[in-house]
Amino acid sequence: MLKTRKILLASHGTDGARAAEKMALKLCASGTTLRHLVVVPDFWKGMMGDDWLNNASTQAAFGRYVEARLEDEVLQCIAKVRRQAEKRGIRYLPQVAFGKPSSCLLEEAHRGKVDLVVLGSQRPRGKQGLRSRMLTDDLLRRLGTPVLIAPYPNA
Amino acid sequence: MIYTKKSPWVLIIGVIMAGYAFLVQQGVLTGLMKMLHTSGHAGEMVTMGYIFGVIGIVVGLWQLVATPKEGSLDYYLSTVGGALLVLLCVFIVKYGAEPVFKLWGKASDAAIGWNFQTTLGLNYILLGIIVGMIVVNVFKIPAWAENGVRLSRLGLKSGVILLGALYSAAELRNLGGLSVVLIGFFVLGSVGMVLWLGRLRNIPNSMGGVLSAGMGVCGVSAAVASAPVVQAKSTEIAYTIGTILLWGVLMMFIFPPVGRALGMGYIQFGAWAGTGILNSAQVAAAALIYQPTGIETLKVAEIFNITRILFLPIIVIWLAVWYVQREAGAQKVNVGRVIFEKFPVFVLGFLLLFALSTTGIFAPAQHYKGKYFDNAIKESKLLTSEETSLLQSELGKVQREDQKAALERLIQNRKAMSIDHDTVLRGLANAKVLSKDANHVLKKAHSAVYHTAKRVKWFRTLIVWFFAFGLTGLGMQITFSSIKQAGGQPLFIGTVVGLTKAVGALIVIMLFVRETI
Repeated sequence: MLKTRKILLASHGTDGARAAEKMALKLCASGTTLRHLVVVPDFWKGMMGDDWLNNASTQAAFGRYVEARLEDEVLQCIAKVRRQAEKRGIRYLPQVAFGKPSSCLLEEAHRGKVDLVVLGSQRPRGKQGLRSRMLTDDLLRRLGTPVLIAPYPNA
Repeated sequence: MIYTKKSPWVLIIGVIMAGYAFLVQQGVLTGLMKMLHTSGHAGEMVTMGYIFGVIGIVVGLWQLVATPKEGSLDYYLSTVGGALLVLLCVFIVKYGAEPVFKLWGKASDAAIGWNFQTTLGLNYILLGIIVGMIVVNVFKIPAWAENGVRLSRLGLKSGVILLGALYSAAELRNLGGLSVVLIGFFVLGSVGMVLWLGRLRNIPNSMGGVLSAGMGVCGVSAAVASAPVVQAKSTEIAYTIGTILLWGVLMMFIFPPVGRALGMGYIQFGAWAGTGILNSAQVAAAALIYQPTGIETLKVAEIFNITRILFLPIIVIWLAVWYVQREAGAQKVNVGRVIFEKFPVFVLGFLLLFALSTTGIFAPAQHYKGKYFDNAIKESKLLTSEETSLLQSELGKVQREDQKAALERLIQNRKAMSIDHDTVLRGLANAKVLSKDANHVLKKAHSAVYHTAKRVKWFRTLIVWFFAFGLTGLGMQITFSSIKQAGGQPLFIGTVVGLTKAVGALIVIMLFVRETI
């Protein structure tokens, strides 16, 4: 029987990740440590695209606005999981990272020495959402930790 | 914060550029250059190679040896590496890839009767953008180059400012009038269409707002300017910018071949690209892809770009008011502040250069006299009897009366007789009504009576370099991961509106836009 004292929950704001959050909370007994990695995908870095017409002040205002939006979404996600974790007596350790979701997860899993990684499944075809995969073949090959994949909600 | 990232690459690029210039200067590469037909650029290669090579060597050595201290010097010097990386790509593409593609194109023309290089417009501008996109998406921009790659925006703005020196008052008046009418109609039309389609498909107001600005005005730039005003959500921004980038890149590839297939003149194509292509960077790119050896199309397209950007503050205010009326809790905007913040300052530079050019500061007064009234013009400069016969045989192809009269006058006198006469003949050449050989004769007639001042020639070369640098650098900022975000309702609405705008603009321009300015 797998003893799960340290669980790493990885999410980056998708519906699949929300299903993973629920599953991770269910798996955690009282006293378990739940490390929650929230990744802001690196595609945001290219969101200014090839804009060149705007003045620097407009670009800075846009950058600040997008950052504030993303930060707000991340904080909301953390606050929601934290409330649930505290109710169940789970030790909750949130971590925010910016980059390729799978690379961030690999790094965090190695650093945190976790027993189990919980993450959401890929979005079914035709389902609307941002394109940023956390669950990749490369991740599964390199992780070296048991992985639990939560089914996509209403799939 | 220290911006300089220590790397030997700045020094290496500097050595490569200076070394290349040295080899060209010593004649080591003469054979290769003859084969690639780039011998005409030897002077440019040597000058540019030495200037930027020396900069790279000096800054590269400084970065390796010195310990950078926080401050402006550190920041400015940290941009040199990226700028040199972009320039190196331009060098490789302009003096290597484009000539090779030209040779392959000719070979394919001989083998299968299709010159893919000219049809697809695979010149140094398009290849530069493609190389830029490959660099960012396959290799990633190295940390030492990130700051400098962003300088490409400054390159494009500098190019537009310099371009201001090359317009005549008549050109600016006529093109400005045309662009205000076309842009006004299509910008307002597409903004309204997105908002209407958005209401039909029940998309949130914030999404409709940011999408309408992007689709209507100037692509990503407009989305960037309007997203905070309409309080767009992060996913809405991602969908919208992904959609616009996807459309922009596709149009950049599609517009030039379509323009060639329809035999559009430079003014028609510049106007179409300036109206129909969503992203302003790709408007400039399409213009240079369409006419890589001249800047007539670019001049037209940039007037349209400037008109679009001047519309931007108005559209942002409109959307802000529209959003406030529909969303409880939306923040009211300060109209004066929006106009002040969103007004494109570089347009003032463009106008300043234009104003200076009208004083004759860039070209001596006699330059404009040309040889229209010169009876001592050399016989070799006049049209030969074979050339006038060729023009005579194609006279029937000319529909417009003024162009027909101008052509008859040219045949009779074997040279252009006045500035106006020359202007009408240039319009006829740009319209591409006549055969390639006949157009060549018209160009000869033009060059016999008109010469470009040295400073203006230098300006043109500089402008082309600024645009090549800017567009290659912008290519390095177009990531597939952001294009992949295209989706959802914005993709559907964007496709409908983008297609309607491109096709609508094409029809209007083909029907109403003439070839003289």
